[in-house]
Amino acid sequence: MKVLIVEDERSMASEMEAFLKKAFYLCDLAYTAKQGLEKMEENEYNFILLDLGLPDKDGLLLLQEARKNCPDASCIILSARGQLEDRIRGLDLGADDYLPKPFSLLELQSRMQAVIRRKFGLQDSTILIGDFKVDLNKRLVTYNDDAEIELSKKEFDLLSYLLLHKNRPVTRMQLSEHIWGGFSDDDYDSNYIDVHIKNIRKKLSTWSSVEWLQTVRSVGYKVKI
Amino acid sequence: MKLFTKLTLFITLSKLAIVILFVWLLPFLVNRIAYQYNDYYLKEQKRKVLNVIGRSGIDAYLQGEPSYGSYTMLKEEYISLEPAGKTAPPDTIATLRRVVEGDTLTYRVLSHTFNYNNRNYFLEVGKTTASIGQYNQPLQRMALYVLIGLIVSTIVIDLVYTRLLLRPLATIIRNRLVNARFPFRETTPAIQTSTTDFRYLDDSLTELMGKIREAFEKEREFTSNASHELMTPISILQSKMENLMMEEELPEVLQKKIMDMMKTLNRLKKIVHSLLLISRIENDQFPRSDSFSIREVVQEVRDELEHRLQEQQLTFHIQLSGQVVLAGLNHDLIFQLVYNLLNNAIRYNKPEGQIIIRENYTPRKPYRLIIRDTGIGIPEHEIGTIFQRFKKVEKKENEGYGLGLSIVHTIARYHDIGIEVSSQPGTGTEFTLIFPLPISTSGYKRVI
Repeated sequence: MKVLIVEDERSMASEMEAFLKKAFYLCDLAYTAKQGLEKMEENEYNFILLDLGLPDKDGLLLLQEARKNCPDASCIILSARGQLEDRIRGLDLGADDYLPKPFSLLELQSRMQAVIRRKFGLQDSTILIGDFKVDLNKRLVTYNDDAEIELSKKEFDLLSYLLLHKNRPVTRMQLSEHIWGGFSDDDYDSNYIDVHIKNIRKKLSTWSSVEWLQTVRSVGYKVKI
Repeated sequence: MKLFTKLTLFITLSKLAIVILFVWLLPFLVNRIAYQYNDYYLKEQKRKVLNVIGRSGIDAYLQGEPSYGSYTMLKEEYISLEPAGKTAPPDTIATLRRVVEGDTLTYRVLSHTFNYNNRNYFLEVGKTTASIGQYNQPLQRMALYVLIGLIVSTIVIDLVYTRLLLRPLATIIRNRLVNARFPFRETTPAIQTSTTDFRYLDDSLTELMGKIREAFEKEREFTSNASHELMTPISILQSKMENLMMEEELPEVLQKKIMDMMKTLNRLKKIVHSLLLISRIENDQFPRSDSFSIREVVQEVRDELEHRLQEQQLTFHIQLSGQVVLAGLNHDLIFQLVYNLLNNAIRYNKPEGQIIIRENYTPRKPYRLIIRDTGIGIPEHEIGTIFQRFKKVEKKENEGYGLGLSIVHTIARYHDIGIEVSSQPGTGTEFTLIFPLPISTSGYKRVI
């Protein structure tokens, strides 16, 4: 997967690059709209991550150019403006998603995955973990291909988020922000994420071992494959 | 008391005092005038008599007799002339008793001594006191009627004129103070008046409101700009920490440190988000065009907070009919408002406590939503400041950042929703939201 990151804050761009590299994305960086446009003309991209607040051009104009130059690329807008009209205009102009700054890199990757699943819906969306199979499209967890395990909506969201970021510690905060969005609570020492994880473990372990769902002490959780 | 009422009262009472004074003085005054006129009349009579004597001699009266006396038919007036001693006392006018043909009557008598042909004569002209005061009663009555008529008409004129004069003041109060809504975006035209005081007052108020609006706009702009500017560095920091967290073989101590930093950063993020939300509300960026019943929203908030209710083992009572549909609201903001209040009701509650949400609605009265908890309560001296930004009630574990209630306040003001707070430390807090909006009950056509 090739990704073009158009972001004028170099520090931000390089962090995004570092993160996405670990998830096996190939990244190009552009710090201005002009550079971005040049890169778009030269290369093919699967993703364009576009910051709206560019110094030389309105990001929304660049988005229109991007749609022309790289019609196959999926665009995700990253913006500190975060206003509803920007969001609507961005999506109207053909962006696939919109992520207000500041965002979590995990969330960014999760959105990118979602866009991929949406665009290539027929692709295999199942993940094998232990003796379980998780179908992200049908939102199903099955054991040995027949026993269906019922998880609540939030439990499934938690599990799939951990699966997406497998082998990395995911903090309670990142989890709660993903699940509850802007309404995630102020007090992170609260144990409601733990309650959900406990439920997931309880439901799954009646069928098979869930050793792969690990607790990272004082941080959060991790799916170890 | 209103100025107009005061003036009315003053005008009426002062005129009433004048009437009473006049009624009290009137008999005395009329009497005095009657007597004065009578004395003048007696002097005139005397002058006529002396004239006759001067022209025709004293015998025109005496006709040889030593004395003369004459009276009118009903003995109302009399005249007498008789010789007097050597001394000539000065004229007197006095009220005296005289016997006329066996009747004793009270007269006003003028006594005069004069010299004629070297002899002194004593002249008396009298008039009964009864006849002097005979017009007093009708005169008094007449005067009273005229006075009352005059007073009533002046009161009416005064009131009409005062009302006319004070009308610009009422308009100023209505336009500038009662109907003006903070932050005074809508400007009403200057008031029409020729009274310079009112002109000055109106101009000053308009100017003052303009200044307030300007200061408010500046603050809003600053908050908005500052918040946006903060987003980028926060974003960078967050990405850096997230990447750090994913380093392989990270010692647990460091992991915990990074975790703490992320928590702190998240707190900063929340504060900036809240400030942005407040400035966006104040910037009119949310359309107020949704209609819904409050029960729907409360239900949504409850679903969102379910895990926390369970965690604290709180009982949650929703006593809402769902019949009343409120219009002209922004759903997301009302959700946020109810969310923040319920979140506080949970946060400051006791374990196994209660939260009760009920409504109070009678047709044509504002809809009231009451949220009550059995929490730690708010000390009385803090109730006045809980809606201010960054004001905190006493430090406690799980403390928020002091913006939740100021968001509530901003949203409420944005929708003209009144808030009442009553609290008893140790027992609980009750928030009442008063919706002043057009209301329709479900089943009827919506008002807006």
